[in-house]
Amino acid sequence: MDKIELKNLLFLARIGAKEEDYPKIIEKLKTTFTMVDQMNELDLDHFEPLNNPLELTNVSRSDSEDDRNSKKEFLAESPKSDDNFFVVPKIVE
Amino acid sequence: MNFKDIRESFRNKEISAKELTQDSLNKAKKYGNLNAFISTFDEDALKKAEHIDNNFNDYKDLALGGVPIAHKDIFCTKGKRTTCASKMLENFAPPYESTVTSNCHQAGSIMIGKTNMDEFAMGSSNETSFFGPVINPWGESLVPGGSSGGSAVCVAANITSLATGTDTGGSIRQPAALCGITGLKPTYGLVSRWGMIAFCSSMDQAGPFARDAFGCAALLDAMASYDAKDSTCAQRDKVKYEDTLRNDFGKLKIGVLKGIDQLGISEEVLKAYDNSKTVLEKLGHTFVELDFSELSSGICSYYVIAPAECSSNLSRFDGVKFGHRSDSSNISDLYLQTRCEGFGEEVRKRILIGTYVLSAGFYDAYYRKAQKVRRMMKSKFDEFFKAVDLVFLPTTLDQAFEMNRTSSDPNRMYKEDLLTIPANLAGLPAISFPNGLANELPIGAQFVGNYFSEDLLLNITHKIQGVTDWHKITP
Repeated sequence: MDKIELKNLLFLARIGAKEEDYPKIIEKLKTTFTMVDQMNELDLDHFEPLNNPLELTNVSRSDSEDDRNSKKEFLAESPKSDDNFFVVPKIVE
Repeated sequence: MNFKDIRESFRNKEISAKELTQDSLNKAKKYGNLNAFISTFDEDALKKAEHIDNNFNDYKDLALGGVPIAHKDIFCTKGKRTTCASKMLENFAPPYESTVTSNCHQAGSIMIGKTNMDEFAMGSSNETSFFGPVINPWGESLVPGGSSGGSAVCVAANITSLATGTDTGGSIRQPAALCGITGLKPTYGLVSRWGMIAFCSSMDQAGPFARDAFGCAALLDAMASYDAKDSTCAQRDKVKYEDTLRNDFGKLKIGVLKGIDQLGISEEVLKAYDNSKTVLEKLGHTFVELDFSELSSGICSYYVIAPAECSSNLSRFDGVKFGHRSDSSNISDLYLQTRCEGFGEEVRKRILIGTYVLSAGFYDAYYRKAQKVRRMMKSKFDEFFKAVDLVFLPTTLDQAFEMNRTSSDPNRMYKEDLLTIPANLAGLPAISFPNGLANELPIGAQFVGNYFSEDLLLNITHKIQGVTDWHKITP
């Protein structure tokens, strides 16, 4: 991984970082991938991918109204909101 | 006092819920240097204790009636700060209650506080918390394990007799082993994940900590319930685990691993493991050797799948809807700076790994391959459980280690989970219990059982604790 790849990855993950820290971050990621790459030594052709250990079937709830999502309560958690909306910096110039 | 004695004293009116609660709150302050708590709720706890004392008959027969408890700060508690040990949620007070804490509340327990942990449950030493590391009561320079380190310390230091934790790759069993207590990771789906802040949704599972299997059984009785709000929650008949401790499961066939001395496990841990095998033999059980040469590939799979799911789960922390927000004049910088400031180094690293393995061109090489390893692990256990009733192995490679070890070898910390991760990948239940002491530090061993065999896991641990004293030794 080089600095350009890391810059793209940081943006994709929406994580800010100073350019002077890039070498340190790249080194740490490389260390982890060196460990993870040991998977390449395994013969996995006859195994299907497993998403969930119990392979449960999905559950649906009845289409009924409840009062779980209180707009007022949820907006109160926001760092910045008005009566009806989350407030963010201007998006469209 | 352990949980059983505390509950009996309350039921016999030898001690009031208020006295028990005040005692736990006093100890939480006395052992403040251990940094086991992120928040304590003195006033609310004493108020609930008073209510319980005033309505004694309504509470005396409940599973946790009158008993103080601590919850890992990963469970949302309505109107009470829930941080996940992150700056991102430093001042977050959820508008709803998790099913686990709600169930414990209804079972008559009294929450005295929320315990410290690795940030967003990412760590094996409790050093990644925004609120500082937790100290192991067995040695002031030693880690308690993680990520549920605060809960394990809380029970080990006798602040409360019960605490809740979560186990994604070993986060209940490893700290239980390093702190000399008992901890159970239930089958994936037995305990609701509603209101439990998500790290790796396909592996996260909440479970109990106590000094012994009896306490774990009682707490699991309270925690486990079918919950329609968690679509991965298993719909099953309710088992009363405390009652099943009296069952006789007969003579068991116990699987032990061939070549276990080749895995890098310390001499002390291997010696304790061998001693426990002698105890099991005396109880009439027999051993079957199992070939599990694929065991170490579990770590590789885990450190792809868990970061992948974490990168997705933690995308909700964007500075807009709740949690920390950076001052920025445009939306792009707001996201970047909020997440840079709000997350610690380990969490940022795992989000980057997860984003990388899920990105175009790398999905097959990493994520899909890791899922195949996961299938291989599950198939291996399916095969084992045709031949044996349980698998027995040490919980950790070594005993509690010194703080700051990560700096010299980052992958050494990940290898800490070598023996615990396979159960998480397969979604199986496992229990860790104290099985020895060396260099004045505790050692743990674990049983892994087949799906929904928590009754058997608790039962055999209870039987072992009936003839040994390792679980009674305190720091």
